[in-house]
Amino acid sequence: MINLIAALGEQLLQRLALIGQALLMLLQSLRVLPGKHGLSRLTQQLYVVGVQSLIIMLVSALFIGMVLGLQGYTLLSAYGSEQAVGQMVALTLVRELSPVVAALLFAGRAGSALTAEIGLMKATEQLASLEMFGVDPLHRIVAPRFLAGLICLPLLVAIFSVVGIYGGYIVAVDWLGVYSGSYWGNMQQAVDFGEDVINGMIKALVFAFVVSWIALYQGYSCVPTSQGISAATTRTVVYSSLAILGFDFILTALMFGGA
Amino acid sequence: MAVNGIIEIHNLSFFRGDRAIFKDIDVSIAAGKITAIMGPSGTGKTTLLRLIGGQLQPHQGEVQLFGKNIAQLKRKQLNQLRGRMGVLFQSGALFTDLTVFENVAFPLREHTQLNDQQLHDQVLLKLEAVGLRGARDLMPSHLSGGMARRVALARAVALEPEIILYDEPFAGQDPIAMAVLQRLIKHLNDQMQLTSVLVSHDIAEACAIADRVILLGEGRVLAHDTPEALQTSTDPAVRQFMHGEADGVIPFHFPAPPLATELLCDPASGADKHGGLL
Repeated sequence: MINLIAALGEQLLQRLALIGQALLMLLQSLRVLPGKHGLSRLTQQLYVVGVQSLIIMLVSALFIGMVLGLQGYTLLSAYGSEQAVGQMVALTLVRELSPVVAALLFAGRAGSALTAEIGLMKATEQLASLEMFGVDPLHRIVAPRFLAGLICLPLLVAIFSVVGIYGGYIVAVDWLGVYSGSYWGNMQQAVDFGEDVINGMIKALVFAFVVSWIALYQGYSCVPTSQGISAATTRTVVYSSLAILGFDFILTALMFGGA
Repeated sequence: MAVNGIIEIHNLSFFRGDRAIFKDIDVSIAAGKITAIMGPSGTGKTTLLRLIGGQLQPHQGEVQLFGKNIAQLKRKQLNQLRGRMGVLFQSGALFTDLTVFENVAFPLREHTQLNDQQLHDQVLLKLEAVGLRGARDLMPSHLSGGMARRVALARAVALEPEIILYDEPFAGQDPIAMAVLQRLIKHLNDQMQLTSVLVSHDIAEACAIADRVILLGEGRVLAHDTPEALQTSTDPAVRQFMHGEADGVIPFHFPAPPLATELLCDPASGADKHGGLL
């Protein structure tokens, strides 16, 4: 029994030490202001992390919006209130589904790629060689990728919401015959900018922070072998997904729980 | 310790886990010479290079470069010092997202204020020296292993460093590439008055160009002498390595408990130690 407690404590301490290391990595990478080429490096990463994630986001958002429209219509029409489908689709997306699903997709698409990229840079001694040129790899490699993630995910979440709402419109209005005016009108009335849109964006920002951080730390600290990189990539997706869902509950409880 | 080399290592100890890689070693590397650090695999040759480059910190003792203890330098000073030192990594370590030209230009862009024309000329001169001016627009993934290492060499000398560290420059090269690299290393050393430190276990190639050889083994310096002296050495460990004998004083086995005790012990308890869930 005592052994069990001791083992548990040891595990806990190890985890805490890891979090500490990850935090130090982040602080160190953001300690220095970006240099003269900082902007071009950031732009490049915005493209890789953000623009290249667009397709998967657009397609997923469209289908999720369509499914929401369909399910919402079926459910609401049983009570004769199918005119409210617009607000249902919009609120579900803006408050919950857009940030969560977009972040999960982001972890799978961009997060895993970041981990693998940095892991391979480590394995091929590119990070070591940067260091020997007197260039801090945290500053050069980690920082622009972290900032790119932080900027891209909230934007992707906003796009996700817009496309999803349009997907709901296609199904509910064009296909099932809900009156277009009530789809938009109800939505406009029900969705509050501060309460819903901003809170959704805060979620997006928190997820962006967590996913980018996990992905970069896993890549930077991985064992530089093929097995090590594969394990680190898996860990990025698993830890990110769990963190997203966990934080989502906490944030939802804080934002919408009291009312 | 009286006559100071350009690289001085005093009483250095370094551990990985419980295993001592180096126990209290002293090394002095003279300026302007080619020094080969040799020894069987796993004796910490690459680790020693990383200690010299300041990428690893010794657990005990000190490493001095140009008369400065690198453990005591601030990051900025260390980076300045690294500008006077080139490293050729085992894999070449070219930046895979940059062309050959940009790879060689990288240290120049970081450490100098050259304008575009000067930069262009410098890079082409360096590439010409390794015979790869024509490959400047290729990406590293399109280079053969030998070419990649030559580009990496051009990049390592781009800043005209005073010291250059080579990590296994001959490993995995065909005979022609090996000869080319050998000639380049020798040529660069003499032309630019460099201090070259090369880690290798290719005895013939390294001895052919080295002025001094440091032989490492079992965590200590087995010998530090000219290649000729080592070839005729009577020390059993030196003989075994220099002549590539399988049997001798340098053990073939990784440290382990006696075989008899391991064979007789209960496998379940043994598996418990090594397997486990995590």
